[in-house]
Amino acid sequence: MKMFRFFSVASLLVISLSATAMAAPKSIKVATDATWPPMEMVDTHKRIVGFDIDFMNAVAREAGITVTYKNTAWDGIFAGLESGKYDAIISSVTITDERKKKYDFTEPYIQIGQILVVPKTDKSSKKIADLKGKKVGAQIGTTGAFEIKKNPGVEIKTYDEVGLAFEDMAAGRISGVVCDEPTAANFVLQRKEYSSKFKIVGAAFTHEGYGITVRKGNAALVALLNKGIKAVKAKKIDEKLRKQWLR
Amino acid sequence: MPQNPTNHIKIDVGEGAAIPVKSDTGLFTAWRIAFFGAILTCLYLAFVKPEPYREIFQFIPDGILVTFKVTVGAILLASIIGLIAGLGRISGNRIINGTASLYVEVIRGIPLLVQIFYIYYALGRFVKIPDMFSAIIAMAVCYGAYLGEVFRAGIQSIPKGQMEAALSLGMTRGQALRKVILPQAFRVVLPPIGNEFIALLKDSSLVSIIAVSDLLRRGREYASETFSYFETYTVIALIYLIMTLFFSKLISLMEERLNANR
Repeated sequence: MKMFRFFSVASLLVISLSATAMAAPKSIKVATDATWPPMEMVDTHKRIVGFDIDFMNAVAREAGITVTYKNTAWDGIFAGLESGKYDAIISSVTITDERKKKYDFTEPYIQIGQILVVPKTDKSSKKIADLKGKKVGAQIGTTGAFEIKKNPGVEIKTYDEVGLAFEDMAAGRISGVVCDEPTAANFVLQRKEYSSKFKIVGAAFTHEGYGITVRKGNAALVALLNKGIKAVKAKKIDEKLRKQWLR
Repeated sequence: MPQNPTNHIKIDVGEGAAIPVKSDTGLFTAWRIAFFGAILTCLYLAFVKPEPYREIFQFIPDGILVTFKVTVGAILLASIIGLIAGLGRISGNRIINGTASLYVEVIRGIPLLVQIFYIYYALGRFVKIPDMFSAIIAMAVCYGAYLGEVFRAGIQSIPKGQMEAALSLGMTRGQALRKVILPQAFRVVLPPIGNEFIALLKDSSLVSIIAVSDLLRRGREYASETFSYFETYTVIALIYLIMTLFFSKLISLMEERLNANR
């Protein structure tokens, strides 16, 4: 296996140096945590759907590869990439400096920010810092959780899925949830049981680019996916998808 | 459960860690190697590879405290529930007996993880239970069913003649139970309760699923931010190991004292 990998790496190098043929694999396995609507979620037919999925399919079409998806819990999604369970992650992954040290990313394919959701009964809170002495929830290991931690005095509660954080806020155990703006909009505006209880406050307070994550050093795949992303953007497919999934 | 009328009654539930006793030299040696090995490994990592181990050790202590609180709270509550359930199971009253038996059967048939989710999220729609408390309740309701069986077996292990003798001395059934049967039964059930305590300590890692910041969740939070999965889970495993080994030793000492007092 190692020998084989060595040869495939060597041949990749030769090919990319001579810049002739397609070097990367024809078929890749992509992990996603399908609990993050509308970016990635499981529909009533148990299919994985969402903006990221449609976007990834479009990128794959442009890059000439096929994609199979693996629904993976967020907590450990990076560990699975490292251990080679799949080749890439498309799961609303914000490109951060810490993550860039460990993994490689494509060009950002969408810009999104974190936003705060509070119960409607809370009339005064506008930002996380206003919730001093209270509990604020987020999904474990997300940029939303990192943002909460930046506020001393605010107690963070982390959940395996962001939906559980919203449910906990509905039960009155926490006073706020921080997550990506489209996900917040999906939970707060489009779900009957929550729209009467929660509201989004203020505007997005971070500016983050999502990237497709691959193993460190897998330059061939990054190049291939970047080519696909470029083509998708040139054809304005991403704008169409944005209209379809993000209002 | 055999009704053994001799003095050396021992109920073996066997879910927790193996309790080291001096007569079992193999296990005793293994306990020492594992316990001191785990402590030495922790110290080695903290001092020889401070990056990132020292940071991990600084990040998780409040998680250890929460794990400990949940475990102790749950075993105390479970013992109360278990005693009631155990008395119910040997009650002559058909309704009480049926209720207690139904509780034991239903709870033992549902995975603990599902029970935790159920009490926290499903019931959270109707009653507001604080997170730590609902974790303790979930664990206690589950382990109460197991302890109920332990108490039942413990009470039944006391020879029938003692109850008959107490009754013939003019005690009521309740008096006989309180003054004659239960004090002896407690001695019999204490070791299996210790066993359950260790099993509960390990199972308490399941409450990390309901956002209780226990040892495991603190570790997951650290790993998810730093991606040091190997290092973090190594530390978490070592700390659980040290805790369970420490308590199993404590229980074996307690058992020895109980036997010495006979």
